[in-house]
Amino acid sequence: MMPDKKQVYIVDDDESVCRALKALLVTYDFVVETFTSAEKFFSAVPYSALGCLIMDVHMSGMDGWEAHKRIVASGSKRPVILISGDKNSGFKERALKAGAVGFLQKPFNGKMLIDLINQVF
Amino acid sequence: MKTIKKKSPKLKQKPLISKKSGISLKLSGQKKKSLPKNSIRNQKRRQLKRRASDQDKTRNHLGEVIRQQADELKFKNGQIRSWEDKDRLAEEQVHIRTKAMDSTADGIFIIDAQKPNFPVIYTNQSFQKMTGYTKREILGRDYFDLYGTDADPRIVREIKHTMLQGKSFHGEMLSFQKNGKKYWDLLRIAPVRDPSGTVTHYVGIQADVTLIRERDLEIKEQREELLHVTRVGKLAEFVSSLAHEISQPLTAILSYAQAAQRILAGREPQLQEILQYIINDDQRASEVIRRLRSLLKKSKPTLESFDINVLINETAMLMATDVTVRNKVLKTELDTNLPAIRGDRIQLQQVLLNLISNSLDAMEGRDDSRELVISTSRKGPNMILVEVKDSGCGIPAENMKKLFSHFFTSKPDGLGMGLSISRSIVEEHGGRLEAKNNPDRGATFYFTISVDKKDVS
Ligand SMILES: Nc1ncnc2c1ncn2[C@@H]1O[C@H](COP(=O)(O)OP(=O)(O)OP(=O)(O)O)[C@@H](O)[C@H]1O
Ligand SMILES: [Mg+2]
Repeated sequence: MMPDKKQVYIVDDDESVCRALKALLVTYDFVVETFTSAEKFFSAVPYSALGCLIMDVHMSGMDGWEAHKRIVASGSKRPVILISGDKNSGFKERALKAGAVGFLQKPFNGKMLIDLINQVF
Repeated sequence: MKTIKKKSPKLKQKPLISKKSGISLKLSGQKKKSLPKNSIRNQKRRQLKRRASDQDKTRNHLGEVIRQQADELKFKNGQIRSWEDKDRLAEEQVHIRTKAMDSTADGIFIIDAQKPNFPVIYTNQSFQKMTGYTKREILGRDYFDLYGTDADPRIVREIKHTMLQGKSFHGEMLSFQKNGKKYWDLLRIAPVRDPSGTVTHYVGIQADVTLIRERDLEIKEQREELLHVTRVGKLAEFVSSLAHEISQPLTAILSYAQAAQRILAGREPQLQEILQYIINDDQRASEVIRRLRSLLKKSKPTLESFDINVLINETAMLMATDVTVRNKVLKTELDTNLPAIRGDRIQLQQVLLNLISNSLDAMEGRDDSRELVISTSRKGPNMILVEVKDSGCGIPAENMKKLFSHFFTSKPDGLGMGLSISRSIVEEHGGRLEAKNNPDRGATFYFTISVDKKDVS
């Protein structure tokens, strides 16, 4: 792994979304790992590991809100971007209040996501 | 002797009847008339007495005769009075009948059947009030004129036809008063026959049922509005879930296309152009969903403090027709000692409505299971429990978990939205909605709802 490449984790229970986002991010030279549940992410990636997390809010099992709460509670400084397919005007505010660095409504333009990652990380 | 004895109670009754005005005057008049008859009787008695004193020898015997004759006289006198009573009673009866017919709220009329054009020969006061015509205007007039010129000619023809066949008519029609004001007329007309069977008269009774009709209409409108709101609510929920489902592949497509564009950077201009079209159309689809969503945006709940029992009764009333048509019975067992709750009436009514209609569906086509019970009770200091219990098909174990998810339905025409929307409403109100099968049969759906803090007792 080249040291100048940024690490990005994607957690979304829709496999196709994971694969597509990864395909896009890779073209921007990110190192991308995907997980289809928050549980899988936690068991594979320690809090201390560097990297930006892009996570869906609406997931079966542990949802994005709860997973994010956990990360914050652990004291980890990991930047988290929450994404959601549910249209709820309150979500963005809620995400930012909880300490997420950004919130994007699906489907979003790839450029917006890249800009956001580069801004915070 | 018996006849005389029998009379006395009747005489005692007299004052009771005569207390009523109008009748008493007549009675006192009759009493005066009977005075001369009393004096004849006295004369006869006096004569008899004289004869008795003449014939000392047979005094005892005569005494007996006198007594007998006196009794006879008394009897005849009684008989005369009883005839008078009969006359008086008959007169009284006619009077009472007229009074009764005039004091009833139903309109009563009699038509002469042996003259052409159905002339009215009797009407009571209520009929005059109902039609708006005076007695003079009505008597002799063709009965069918009194419906007003705007009455439905088909119904008028049907009534006429029924009457001419010597049958009874019973029905409801829109009639018009003299001043044009319309009213709903519940009408019965029956033929009256003489001993030979010829129809001599028609007698009719009619009631003004406008208020009942309007109330029915009002209930119907409320019900339709409620069903409309429910459908819109379900549709909104449906679109929102659909939007969520569709936004996933749209996100993927967009990202794939953008990734491909970057990979091709500067090469294959034709492919680049196609990828741009894919991206544009993806965004167009997203826009359609976005607009659809804002169109069906859920209105914010308006919270107010109210009695859940009242809402349940109202909802039960609105569903009454449905329940009856489906041959079911809706019962309520409401704890009357509950504090007010705080919530959005319309949304909570949606929940009740969804649960009731699900229960009715579950009992569909089962004649042995008809009962649906809605009950309320206190659950702890801050909660009220509402249960909707049916005796329907129940829930198979494998469906228990899926009941509340979007799109889950076992019905051919179901959306599978009713329960998921209901659960989200109840949870927004700080309560929980659950389901369980009953020990005997059928299912119970129950939810909690928090009481208004100001009303906690
Ligand atoms: N009282 C009940 N008894 C048995 N099964 C029930 C009952 N209520 C709901 N169900 C089951 O749960 C399913 C989902 O109910 P829900 O109200 O969400 O959707 P639906 O009634 O099928 O369609 P709709 O969106 O028109 O209400 C039903 O199709 C039925 O299988
Ligand atoms: Mg339903």
